[in-house]
Amino acid sequence: MQQFFEKYKKQILRGGVLLLVLITVIASGKQLNATLLESAIGVVVTPFQDLTTGISSWIDESITSARDKAELKEENEDLKNQIADLLAENRRLAMYEGENAKLSALLKIAQRYPDYESTGATVIAKDPGVWYDGFTIDKGTTKGITANMVLIAPEGLVGKVLESGATFSKAQSILDSRSSVPAMSMRTGDLGVVKGDYTRSADGLCIMEYIDAQAEIMVGDEIVTSHLSDIYPAGLAIGKVLELETDTSGLTKYAVIQPYVDLKHLDTILVIDKNSAVEAPVPEEPSVNTETPAEPEEPAESTEETQETGVSE
Amino acid sequence: MRILITALIIFVNFILQTSLFPLLAVRGIFPNTALIIVTSYALLRGSKEGAIVGGFTGLLMDIFFSKMIGFYTLLYLAIGFLFGRSQKNFYRENYILPVIFCAVSTVLFQAVLYITGFLFRGEGNIFYFVLSILGPELVYTAVVTVLLYRILFGINEWLELKEKYKYRLF
Repeated sequence: MQQFFEKYKKQILRGGVLLLVLITVIASGKQLNATLLESAIGVVVTPFQDLTTGISSWIDESITSARDKAELKEENEDLKNQIADLLAENRRLAMYEGENAKLSALLKIAQRYPDYESTGATVIAKDPGVWYDGFTIDKGTTKGITANMVLIAPEGLVGKVLESGATFSKAQSILDSRSSVPAMSMRTGDLGVVKGDYTRSADGLCIMEYIDAQAEIMVGDEIVTSHLSDIYPAGLAIGKVLELETDTSGLTKYAVIQPYVDLKHLDTILVIDKNSAVEAPVPEEPSVNTETPAEPEEPAESTEETQETGVSE
Repeated sequence: MRILITALIIFVNFILQTSLFPLLAVRGIFPNTALIIVTSYALLRGSKEGAIVGGFTGLLMDIFFSKMIGFYTLLYLAIGFLFGRSQKNFYRENYILPVIFCAVSTVLFQAVLYITGFLFRGEGNIFYFVLSILGPELVYTAVVTVLLYRILFGINEWLELKEKYKYRLF
């Protein structure tokens, strides 16, 4: 046996390297759930990651809580006032929602901004490299999380799940240069694609590309996900336009986006399943609407816009 | 014994690197401790063991963060193998050489990632790459290597001593 290895050492080495290259090429681009081996390693590793992340965040919290107690008191006051305001606002919006549901039922259009079933999850590990912005969350296929589910925080969009094992899932944030999210400007409806950019991801910024040169998008506009994606549901808040620049070709513009979510300090996030839309009073045949979105889009969009301006007031 | 301790080092480093070290990063940059361990190990033990350690380190990275399995495995394996070849040519008690070798392996590693992931896609910004990623990382790497290499060196000495007793070499 030993002799056999000695004799064919070079061939075995070459074969091994070739096999690795082959596996890389075959497996690239596929977004499947993790294999049994990967899941098995995940089961071993994730509890430890969970533990260290827990300990470090606990230390971080205890240090900061000791430091700014006075600040917290002040903030608490402010937040209480805000809650009171928001509750009043919320009641008004709930009325709007009911009215909207009734009106759209009358118009026979499906709800375009339905609620989704969500699962809470914690970020337990981060990609140590500088190039990509990937992370691992502590829930996997056993909790019903599969590839291409969307991750959000209360403030807005975070990213999506790339692949999930039994007890963990790989995810990528919108700052990752491999990610691209079809998006539009809330005010003007200009379309574009929000992409990660490795030269800006250290500052927590990303860019929106392929905006038409004639588009009336402005600094400060709100960017949300558009209807052109089969992964991301429409209408999720992404961020605000920080600056606008024209491409070198002069045909398109790109905007630097400041995401609403602090993507550099992620902790708890929500995983939403696009296929689990909890459809509010939906009239018959919602599929007709998704196939021909051109006409019935206008009324729903305008109602959404009035809602949004209501919020920002 | 050696296998167990080496596996433990890889494992503990992976967990710390993915959960604790990002908190210590300055502007998103922290030295790739996995790469330092692979390079040091290759320098201490030769190309065969360097390649094995590199392969398993890369496999862990692949499983948790990569879009395709095998990329990091191959890269770390190649680096472990390459730097192991110089094991016979220098005294491993030297302080400066491991630092230089780790710096070279960092340049190699980042350049491969940059060329395959960005330059070929037309997103290469060479000034940003050299000034904001490679430069700071080299400085951090040099500092961390001094510490990490001493630890690995000590562990290796201790293990070799035990092995010598085991096989009654003296």
